[in-house]
Amino acid sequence: MDPLNLALASGSTRRRFLERAVVGGVAFAASPVVAQSLVDLHLPGDPSQRSMTSAFPGKGSMILQRTRPPLLETPMAVFDKDVFTPNDQFFVRWHWADIPTSIDVAAFRLAIHGAVNRSLSLSLAELLSLPRVEMAAINQCSGNSRGFFQPRIPGAQWGHGAMGNARWLGVRLRDVLDLAGVKPGAVAVRFNGLDQPVVPDAPDFEKSLDIDHARDGEVMIAFGMNDQQLPLLNGFPIRLIVPGWYSTYWVKMLSDIEVLTAPDDHFWMAKAYKVPATPGADVVPGGKDFPTVPISKMVPRSWVTNLPEGGQVAFGPAIAVGGIAMGGDTGVKQVEVSVDGGQTWHPTALGPDHGKYSFRRWDAHVALAQRGPIPVMSRCASSAGVIQPMRPIWNPGGFMRGNVETTNIVVG
Amino acid sequence: MKILAIGLTAFVLVAVVAPHSRAAAPARVSAHGFALTSLTVELPFDETQYPDGPGADVINANCTACHSASMALTQPALTRDQWSAIVSKMADTYKAPIDRHDMPAIVAYLTAMSARLPGAKGPAPRTSNEATTG
Repeated sequence: MDPLNLALASGSTRRRFLERAVVGGVAFAASPVVAQSLVDLHLPGDPSQRSMTSAFPGKGSMILQRTRPPLLETPMAVFDKDVFTPNDQFFVRWHWADIPTSIDVAAFRLAIHGAVNRSLSLSLAELLSLPRVEMAAINQCSGNSRGFFQPRIPGAQWGHGAMGNARWLGVRLRDVLDLAGVKPGAVAVRFNGLDQPVVPDAPDFEKSLDIDHARDGEVMIAFGMNDQQLPLLNGFPIRLIVPGWYSTYWVKMLSDIEVLTAPDDHFWMAKAYKVPATPGADVVPGGKDFPTVPISKMVPRSWVTNLPEGGQVAFGPAIAVGGIAMGGDTGVKQVEVSVDGGQTWHPTALGPDHGKYSFRRWDAHVALAQRGPIPVMSRCASSAGVIQPMRPIWNPGGFMRGNVETTNIVVG
Repeated sequence: MKILAIGLTAFVLVAVVAPHSRAAAPARVSAHGFALTSLTVELPFDETQYPDGPGADVINANCTACHSASMALTQPALTRDQWSAIVSKMADTYKAPIDRHDMPAIVAYLTAMSARLPGAKGPAPRTSNEATTG
């Protein structure tokens, strides 16, 4: 297909999607979550099965981890279709159940206040009029893959699908801060969204970034996600984009930006989402006496996506193995695959480069010596030279998993 | 308020001219080729209760205001100490309005639930329960 036809085809797909979104997106009737089918996350222990659901607004078929507040996981097969995750299958994670279900774009305001020369209350029309930037970036939950930690760790028992990659359209946070004028002495910027705790005195969900990070020109306020407005459950109308950093900082339904003159001592920065200040955030299971720091940059990861766990594959001289990789806070240099438990590694061909914060497709044909059970592994090296380790880490939060993952297949 | 006034006018006109037509289109904001349209959704509700057993009424009464039962029902096998730390964290850190007298029954229910999981072994290694979220 030539580039023009390709553009036309994708444009027509986009229009169809828009029409569906308009018809189905204006109002949804409340209905109970009904299990449509079960999926096995292949966690190391029960309960490993989850229901599939399509009951959530703006969302197609998702793995149901929790209805209220919603925790919805993306099935791995979705990642095999494209390096960009469709909005209607992009994972969902909320901390508190008081989530606004109606957003009036004419009335919505983003407040900027604190250590600034001029406090602002920006309308969406004003935000849409600022200089635009677009960036492909992976949004991954700090606890993605927590269900695979051993010993097991309490918390959301995610498989690998608490992540997604999108083209984010929006404005630079720096430009918005400059409109307000950051005062000398500012050290951090705190972000709050419209979601609220359901009980009095509970800690509202807020996160902060150091002032230099907030003003680095990469951190964005996004109103577009893969050419569409964001689904409400992904933070409509605007959310923070912190490329290369875990999703906990990507505050949804962003409504309040406060410039601070002292480090953020509120709960979600001072107490939650802390990781050991050890190499790889790794400690001996059960260990307690270690210093901690707020979680920050992501680490390299990769997954086989074309073969399901436990899948049966017909024997042949070679099998096609393909998947996705990420460099973490930088790009992907290379991905290798192994079918012998990590003894030997084979090169793969990388797909198009959509920028260092995006998923990167990789594919290979790997020779098979015999029939039987085969562990298929992939190993990413980031452009900074960081290579995924074989050994899993452990920490009490179940954060930052990044080891080589295995997909077990049976060749017969 | 100008926008609201226009909206009301439009609604009245629609009501007069076409009483059976649908409500006015949701508000829309656009600039430089990108538009945002107001959104109203309803989130599905969850009917799942904690399964019957000693203390089920207590846990259903105390633990479904903030989160679905599935949060607990999807957890791996945890020890009594782990469940106790989690229930305390819900009350102390997240301000869950749990009746203190009900806490032993809640911990007992969850511990028994863990013990029934297939493959549940003896006590797992002790793990600290700091703010586990994500």
